[in-house]
Amino acid sequence: MSRDKPASILPALLLLLSAGIYAFLFLHAEQQWEVAVLAILGVAAILSAGRLGISGQVERSWRCSPVLLGWLAMIVAAALIYLLREDHFSLLMVATLLLYAMVCLGLNVQFGYAGVVNFAGAAFFGIGGYTAAMLAGHTATPHLLILAIAGLLSGLIGSLLVLPLLRTRGHYAALITIAFAILFRTFLEVNDLLGGPQGLKVPGISLLGWNFNDNIEIDDETQFSFYLAYALFSLVLFALAFLLVRRLERSWLGLSLDAVRIDETAASVFGFNVARWKILAFSLGNVLAGVAGAVYAMMTGFVAPASFTIAESLIFVSIIILGGVGNPIGILPAAALVVILPEKLQFIQEYRYLLFSAFVILILLFKPGGLLPRPLRRYFAHWGKA
Amino acid sequence: MNVLLDCSGLTVRFGGLTALNGLDLSLKQGETLGLIGPNGSGKTTFFNALTGLYRLSAGRVRFDGREVTGAAPQALYDAGIARTFQRSRLCLALSVFDNLMIGNHRRLSLGMAFNLLQRRSFEQELRAHETRARALLASFNPGLPDRLYDPAGELGMIDRRRVEVCRALIGEPKLLLLDEPSAGMTHDETHELMEDILATRERQPGLSVILIEHEMGVIERVSHRCAVLNFGEKICEGPYASVVSDPRVQEAYLGAE
Amino acid sequence: MDAGLLGQYVFNGLMLGIIYAMVAVGFTLFFGVLDVIKFSHGDVLMVGAFVGLMTYLGLSGLGVTSGALLTVCAMFAAMLAMGVLGALMARWLVLPLRNAPAINVLLITLMAGTVLRELIRLFYPAGANPKPFPRLLPTDAISIGTLTLRYDNLILLAVGVGAIVAVHLLVTRTKLGLAIRAVAQDSETARIMGMNFQMVVLVTFALGSALAALAGVTAGLYYNEINFSMGLLLGVIGFSAAVVGGLGNLYGAILGGFLFAALQTLGAVWFSVPAYKDVFAFALVILLMAWRPTGLIAEKAAERV
Repeated sequence: MSRDKPASILPALLLLLSAGIYAFLFLHAEQQWEVAVLAILGVAAILSAGRLGISGQVERSWRCSPVLLGWLAMIVAAALIYLLREDHFSLLMVATLLLYAMVCLGLNVQFGYAGVVNFAGAAFFGIGGYTAAMLAGHTATPHLLILAIAGLLSGLIGSLLVLPLLRTRGHYAALITIAFAILFRTFLEVNDLLGGPQGLKVPGISLLGWNFNDNIEIDDETQFSFYLAYALFSLVLFALAFLLVRRLERSWLGLSLDAVRIDETAASVFGFNVARWKILAFSLGNVLAGVAGAVYAMMTGFVAPASFTIAESLIFVSIIILGGVGNPIGILPAAALVVILPEKLQFIQEYRYLLFSAFVILILLFKPGGLLPRPLRRYFAHWGKA
Repeated sequence: MNVLLDCSGLTVRFGGLTALNGLDLSLKQGETLGLIGPNGSGKTTFFNALTGLYRLSAGRVRFDGREVTGAAPQALYDAGIARTFQRSRLCLALSVFDNLMIGNHRRLSLGMAFNLLQRRSFEQELRAHETRARALLASFNPGLPDRLYDPAGELGMIDRRRVEVCRALIGEPKLLLLDEPSAGMTHDETHELMEDILATRERQPGLSVILIEHEMGVIERVSHRCAVLNFGEKICEGPYASVVSDPRVQEAYLGAE
Repeated sequence: MDAGLLGQYVFNGLMLGIIYAMVAVGFTLFFGVLDVIKFSHGDVLMVGAFVGLMTYLGLSGLGVTSGALLTVCAMFAAMLAMGVLGALMARWLVLPLRNAPAINVLLITLMAGTVLRELIRLFYPAGANPKPFPRLLPTDAISIGTLTLRYDNLILLAVGVGAIVAVHLLVTRTKLGLAIRAVAQDSETARIMGMNFQMVVLVTFALGSALAALAGVTAGLYYNEINFSMGLLLGVIGFSAAVVGGLGNLYGAILGGFLFAALQTLGAVWFSVPAYKDVFAFALVILLMAWRPTGLIAEKAAERV
């Protein structure tokens, strides 16, 4: 049954606009009750959008002109960041959100696509951070190169785990990454060269002569927060990571990963090199986490073992479960819930691990697909079912 | 016709259990061999050994003129062996098209640059494969191409079987292993499926098939030759008529007098 | 090093081993019965330790002074409470996900463990700080040459060994144990034969959790300190031990527990920095998994093709 009317771009535009407005309101909300109401509204909106078929309409609408809408989304995000230009706190949150979401994109490739569990996401995030600390603090390596090296080092160290991961399934693989996470934290704490329990200080990013850590002074009265640069930079990185992961899924590569995840035996019988795909997914995911970790370290100015614990790894895992395993679009709203909400609702800050674990339990019991379950693969926007 | 597959002395042991015991079997190009025998006689084990999923305890396999003993499943697929499974193993969460493309692995360009950057070329390849997929599906059920982008889990059981056979065929294998394709189907459905497989065979005269079946009517119609397994050993071989009337075969199925 | 010091290390290793073995046996029981890994097991251990502590505080507040009585009550209360908790978790978290992908059970139990950990950290008075655990057992020691063995540690060792032996006897000699083994072998057939699958699962989880509680109180009495995050490490160690020994295999779990303790002890001997012993032990576990993915004694199940 085909649609006679071609889909209009309007629903997608409306979504962008309302998302932008919502984000602005959310970040600006001062009162706790405002924040709570907005949060509940947001979650309810996403959940009911699925029920009422609105998400289907929006999806069809978006496919009318995905490139244009993609750029518009970037512009809306950049505009939002610009509107917050004097607000240190909000910009820091936005940047953190984007960097966490980037890690989750990587985790999504590992777990959502290839089926490789990784409970050491924070460890790879930390490897990126410590690499940045060492290189930026002790050498004159250009900072973009530092980011690349941080990513590569994360991927490389991850490959140490690859052999045991390949030979094991499910819970055994989980054990390996958990053991690694504990190992990493302990290793950092006893190693004075890496700062021990106190950690290390990390210089800020300097690109093309401009030091991100300098506040941007327009004139004597207005001063933009230095986090503005970090937020915009994180936005660009996230967008690139998102595009990469998107393209990956919408290709024979994504198909191979899915085949290997769903039925390893059948995949091998049809010629898929299971090891190659798992290694690719695991490494790529860790590279993304490493790059994000480096930027985060340089933004916050320090790295310490206490930031890279199993609890943090579980936060990353919670985000992809909440958002919908295998669906990169769900990552942003889920990350916003997990990263921003506790910052705004101060009273739940202490309880965030408890609350999010409980929330994930509920999701696993009642809506295992997450807020935005993964749709079927669509190789191109104009391909497949109308 | 030259010999495509030559197995000698195939033995598969699991701890104390010998599932295959010194099996000798060969197949000529273009031939369809019916593989029959009571439950547990080692037929699926033979398929698993042939596709590299089980390790051979002893024996040798030559395929298409090359020694392939102990080869990995991926290498055997590349050599031209494809199969279906007794218990349906489609990826139900993926679309019908994706499932077919899994079987088409040999033809997929898997370079990172190609998939991520050369999107126009990728679309061309996608289009070409989609056309072939539609054609193949249509030859089994004219309504199937319409469901190309439906999740495989939404198909009925018969269509799923068809998709599974198509998945094995789309890579244009030299040897097709069918493991009880008609299980769970009615007589008419089985008939229809076999007609389609026969038609495929017409189009690809070089295609060799080994067919495991319990429905003797199917074996009779489709196979050029039969082999009977019992307790992991071949007890009889020959055209269907002679095999069916062989007393050893009857004893294997019905028990001794 | 002299015999006394060596003996000390060995004894320490034995104590660790018995604690790990108790945890590992729980993991292996759960896996055997339901093919699940209950990642919250370590945190159940921790809650059990806290229940033991609270029992002690409550009873001594009421004027009870007998060390033996306090110990017995603490252990008993912890085991009872955790038995109930284990059964509840099985009923509400694990059984409902019986038909979901195995990873979901793994995730839900991980999250449940976090919930337990956070509940203690947040709601127990000063929960984030380590809590002293009283010395309830006689601390005099006997000396054999340069080796000193304290009575309390000997008692704990005996209790641990006794508990494992009891579990072993229960699983191999009783009707309940037969039911557990039947369900572990083949739950479908067991169900058809009339066994109450759900009941067996609940009892198994209760049993494993009670054992963990005992391990928790034992750890508390041995180290004289407990804290809210002790479960994480012990849980992972217990799981590693169960895996190394081969999941589903009771003897393997015991073997694995002592093996891990031995690795840690070796690490403690070799490395001057004490924390490296954990790095050493976990690195070896990862290597071991690379070499023998299904454990030293092979896991029971294999995939049907």
